[in-house]
Amino acid sequence: MTPILDLTNVGFRYAERSVFEGISLALQEGSCTALAGPNGVGKTTLLRVAAGTLPATSGRVLLQGQAPATMSLKQRSRLVALVPQQLDIPFDFTVEQIVEQGRSPYLGLLRGMMPEDRRAVDRALNLADVSGLRSRIFNELSGGERQRVKIALGLAQEPKLLLLDEPTQNLDIGRQVELIDLLHYLRDEGIIVLASIHDLHLIHHNFSFVHLMGSDRSLISGIPKDVLTPEQIASAFNCALGRRSLSMEATGVHSGRGFQ
Amino acid sequence: MEAEVNKIAVTPMTSVPFGQRPWEEQPRKVRPSGSFKLPAILVLLFCTLIASILISVSLGAIHVPVSAIAAAAFAHHPLSETQRTILLAIRLPRVFASALVGAALAIAGLMFQGLFRNPMADPYIIGASGGAAVGACIGIVLFAQWSIFGFSAAALLAFLGSLATMAAVYFLARARKRTSGVTLLLAGFAVGTMLSNSTYLFEIFDSNPEAGHRVVAAWLHGVIAVPQWKQLAVSSILLALCAFSAYPLMRRLNTLALGDEYAHQLGIRVETTRILVILVGSLLTAIAVSLGGLIGFAGLIVPHVARLLLGPDHVRLLPVTALAGAIFLVIADTMARTLFAPTELPVGILMAFLGGPFFLYLLRRNKREYAL
Repeated sequence: MTPILDLTNVGFRYAERSVFEGISLALQEGSCTALAGPNGVGKTTLLRVAAGTLPATSGRVLLQGQAPATMSLKQRSRLVALVPQQLDIPFDFTVEQIVEQGRSPYLGLLRGMMPEDRRAVDRALNLADVSGLRSRIFNELSGGERQRVKIALGLAQEPKLLLLDEPTQNLDIGRQVELIDLLHYLRDEGIIVLASIHDLHLIHHNFSFVHLMGSDRSLISGIPKDVLTPEQIASAFNCALGRRSLSMEATGVHSGRGFQ
Repeated sequence: MEAEVNKIAVTPMTSVPFGQRPWEEQPRKVRPSGSFKLPAILVLLFCTLIASILISVSLGAIHVPVSAIAAAAFAHHPLSETQRTILLAIRLPRVFASALVGAALAIAGLMFQGLFRNPMADPYIIGASGGAAVGACIGIVLFAQWSIFGFSAAALLAFLGSLATMAAVYFLARARKRTSGVTLLLAGFAVGTMLSNSTYLFEIFDSNPEAGHRVVAAWLHGVIAVPQWKQLAVSSILLALCAFSAYPLMRRLNTLALGDEYAHQLGIRVETTRILVILVGSLLTAIAVSLGGLIGFAGLIVPHVARLLLGPDHVRLLPVTALAGAIFLVIADTMARTLFAPTELPVGILMAFLGGPFFLYLLRRNKREYAL
C-alpha cells in the first residue's frame, strides 16, 4: 500500500543555511506518529515540507505516491492539513467564521457553503470541543481555546493526513489528555496524524510511532519504547545523562542561586 | 492501548455534559445573530439611498420640492423648463456621480483593508492619489479643452495616472514572484509622495497661474464635478463590473485573513488573488478619482463602521459598504454644496471635518483591533 507520506532523503535549506538534510520517513495507514527533537532542529520546517507549503530543496517528497508539485492546490489541500503553532487573525472574526475557512478547498469560484460544508464545520467544532465557542471572537480566546480552534480549522478541511505543530502547547494537563483522546478517535476514523510534540511522556504512552530528530542531524525512528531510551534522548537533546534530578527541595532554592 | 483510551475518555470535557463524547453530534445552536438580518439591512440601506438622492436633488439655489419631482414622475405634472434643466443637466448627474464615487471608494477601501489585513488601509494606500494628482494636473494645465467619451482630459488622465501608479508600485514591490504587504505599503508611500509633490512643477509652468491653481487645488481636495451623462454611463458600467468581480474575491479575502501561508495551504492562489484584488481595487479608485478628485476618509471609514456593526465577513460587507458609501457621499456632497451656499466647500474637506473626529472616536473606543 502506498504510504500517505513518503519522504526519501529530504533536505531543506534557506539561501545559505541548511535546516535539515537526509530525512527519510514514511507514514502508514492508521498510524499516529510523533515528531520529537530539540528546539530549532527543523520540526516545523519538516511539517511544512510534508504539507507541501515549502518545496524540499533536495530528496523526494511523495503524498499518496504523488509529488506535491504535480498535484493541484485543491487536491493537495483536501489531502493534507497543517495546523500551525501560531495563527494571527486581523479583525474580529468569530470562531465559526475561522473554522469555515477550512472548507476553502471544497468551494468553487461562486459556489458558497453547502449543507455538507456546514456539517463538516459543525463536526470539526464538535470534535475539537469548541462548538460552545462558535460565536466567540477568536482574538478574545485564551491560548488553550485558540489551540483547539486551530485543530477544528484543520479538521474542517477533512484531510487524510493531519499535521499538528506542537498541538499540546498552551494546554493544561486535562486538555492535553483530551487532545490525545481526540487523536485516538481520529486514528480510528482513518485520519493519519503526524504531530510534533515536546512532552516525551505523552509520546511514550500514546503514539504508535516516533521520529526523534537529533541536534546532530540524526533521525531515529521506531516505536516509542525503543526510541525514547535515556541514552538516545540525551544524545538527541544534547543534555547530560545522570544529572541530579530536578527537584524543588528547599536547599537548592535558598543556597545562593535563588531569586535575587 | 485500549486501556489507555478508556482511562482518559472519562475526563469531563469543558463544554460537553458529563458522559457525552464531544464528537457526538450536538443539537445545532441558532445561527449567530446577524446573518438573517442582511437582506433587511440591504433593503433599508437601498431605501435610504433613494431618499437621500431625492432630497439632495431637491436642495440647492433653486428649491425643487420632492413632491413636485414625484408629481412629474408619476402624475404627469411636468416641471417648469428651468426646473427640468437644473435637475437633469446639473443636480442629478452630480448626485449620481457622488453615489458612484462613494460606492467605489467604499468597496476599494474594503478590499485594501482586507488585503493588507489592516483596518487603517484606504483606497489611496498604494499610491493611487499621487498618480491621479499628476494626471489631473496635466489635464487641467495642458489639455483643458479636451474631452473623450464625456471624460474631461483631467478625469481621464487621473484615471490612467492612478492605474499606472498602482501597477508601477506593484511591480516595484514584487520580488521572487511574490509581494509582501509591507513592501507594497512602503513602495506605495514613496511613489505616491513623490508624485503628489511633483504637481508643484505644473503650477510653475502654468500659463494662467490663478485659474489653473484654483482648479488644481480644488481637485486635490476632492470636488465632485457635474459630469456628462456619457461619463456617468461609462463609470457605472465599470463600477458594476468591478463590484461583480469583487464578489468571489471577498471570500478569498476572508481566507487570506489567516495569513498567506495558511491560505496557500487551503488551496488559495495567494499571489493571483492579490493581483486581482489590487486590479479591481485600483479600477474602483480610478473611477472615484476621475469623478471627484481626491476625497479622503470615505474609503477608510465606511468599511470600518460596517465591520464594527456587522463583523468582518467580507462577503456580507461588500453590498453593505457599497450602499453605505453611496449614501455617505450623497449626503456629504449635498452638505458641501448647500452649507455655505453660494460658496461651495470641497467635499473632501467636509469629509475630513466629519470623518476625522469620528475616526478618532472609533480608534479610542476599539483599541485591540489595531495590531500590524
